[in-house]
Amino acid sequence: MKSCLIYIDHKEIQNSIDLLEVARQIFKDEPYETTGVEFGDQKVTLTGGFDHLIQVHHPEIKLYDQVAVTDVMVQIQEAKAYDCILIPATYYGRILAPRLSMHLGVGLVADVTAIGHSNNNLEMIRPAFSGRIMAGIISRSQSPIMMSVRQGVFHYEGQTDKVADIMKYVPTHVKDGGISCLSVKQKEQTYDIRESDVLVSGGGGVVKSFQHLEKLAKKLGGQVSASRKIVDQGLASRSIQVGQSGKTVSPKLYIALGIYGSIQHVEGLKNVPHMISVNINRDAPICSLSDIVVEGDAVAFIDGLMKKIEENEGTLL
Amino acid sequence: MMRLICIIKYVPDVDNFKYDYENNVLIRENVRLTLNPDDACAVAFALKVKARDPKTHIEVVTMAPMSVQPHMEDLLRLGVDKGTIISDRLYIGSDTYATSLVLGRYLSAQTYDVILSGTHAIDGDTSHIPAQLGDLLGLNQMSGIIKVDEAALSQTLAVFEVETEDMIATYEMMLPAILSLTRESAYKLPYIKRQNMDLDVTRRINIISNEQLGFEADEVGIKGSPTKVAKTYTKEFNQKERTVIGTDDEGISLVYEFLKEKGFI
Repeated sequence: MKSCLIYIDHKEIQNSIDLLEVARQIFKDEPYETTGVEFGDQKVTLTGGFDHLIQVHHPEIKLYDQVAVTDVMVQIQEAKAYDCILIPATYYGRILAPRLSMHLGVGLVADVTAIGHSNNNLEMIRPAFSGRIMAGIISRSQSPIMMSVRQGVFHYEGQTDKVADIMKYVPTHVKDGGISCLSVKQKEQTYDIRESDVLVSGGGGVVKSFQHLEKLAKKLGGQVSASRKIVDQGLASRSIQVGQSGKTVSPKLYIALGIYGSIQHVEGLKNVPHMISVNINRDAPICSLSDIVVEGDAVAFIDGLMKKIEENEGTLL
Repeated sequence: MMRLICIIKYVPDVDNFKYDYENNVLIRENVRLTLNPDDACAVAFALKVKARDPKTHIEVVTMAPMSVQPHMEDLLRLGVDKGTIISDRLYIGSDTYATSLVLGRYLSAQTYDVILSGTHAIDGDTSHIPAQLGDLLGLNQMSGIIKVDEAALSQTLAVFEVETEDMIATYEMMLPAILSLTRESAYKLPYIKRQNMDLDVTRRINIISNEQLGFEADEVGIKGSPTKVAKTYTKEFNQKERTVIGTDDEGISLVYEFLKEKGFI
């Protein structure tokens, strides 16, 4: 039976659990079992989807010290010899994965967004050239297969009532990477655009009128998101950026105002059933992907639509 | 006197790639090589340290085809002390694993206090190499650095800020170590001074081939790479039967009806 180890990033637990879907796509009809490894007790129920759970406990482990974390992961792999190790491509995951793979002497594919199978080879598909093209990568290393996985792309929809056996692992010693955290400043917590069914999104064409998007978003029960251009101008937090270097979103409705539709932006839109683009240029690339193209000024559109909605509010039909 | 080594990569200028959605084709026109933006910040930071203490020694290292030499010479004209180009036919086609082995072998023979790099490259965007080098050289490494405290930087430790999704953290790390900066940091390369534009810097170029590094053919290049690109796919986008309207009453009504029909209002 094949075995798959999934690293649970304590800052992105759901995204880590979603890697169970990657395991499912990798092994397909082959029997396999999954193990989640979490550092410390996250007090979050991880049982349900995993067959096994490893909880690493050691008072001296600092989770930001990737020398220490890698060493523990090496110990676990040397003891259990998993066939596959999946790590979410979070900030820490993207440091842990290459350290671990180099130590184990195996190939690593970063930021995987799709799994393919061709000629009996597992193909790990990921964006390249800043999202302008997709590359299908094969690894000669079979043991273990390693990849870091892009967040928000895979969603686990399998069994959630497994009873995992939980193993507490206390490493006998912990490597010290000579790093300590002096301070942490939490950024202003904005909402998570991945949770919204409706996104009203602004790009370079609405730099002067970005603040107008809020009222339309609220009216439609959605949230405001932004392209890289808006974020780079300091008009919005990167946490609401849609795209290759932002988040991947799957709202039911995406209204793109003043967005050109560069491939790095569109890369962040996955399975969006309804799209409306508002642009003074009807030939902007994003218009090819839209159900409705509104050729005109974004503010005129927002004001017009708001007025129409408000006029019709409260009328029973 | 600090010894800084910057690992850099020259990449195609991907911002000049255009995508044709209608035909699902990536158009790579006017492609020039450019210094990876994150890496430029690393070099800029090193130059800032040197401006503070002129005795600082900066070496810039890249594994690349020899065609990058003119680019390297420009970095030397900015004040970098030594430019090392690691180049050999044997290394062509190396993935990040093989590239790290090559860079690692060269670095293991050097003395340094800090290795500086970028966090990710705009072409491959794996962020593998700094972390892999960390493991190979037995050094700790952190990515996403937006600021390094120059006053606190010594030969034994570095203090720096990292920005992640939800926070800005300040770390103190013992040296030697690898610090990977990001283009979000404020470090910018200066322009070459007018009087230095034609400076002959060739004697500060250091060319390293496999003769010095001594790899077997199957350890590096395509043969030594555990991963390889099997296929590239252009992205498929579902084209829509789009309706084009304006922001007049008719247009707004159409949008309103669409939203109502789909249940958003």
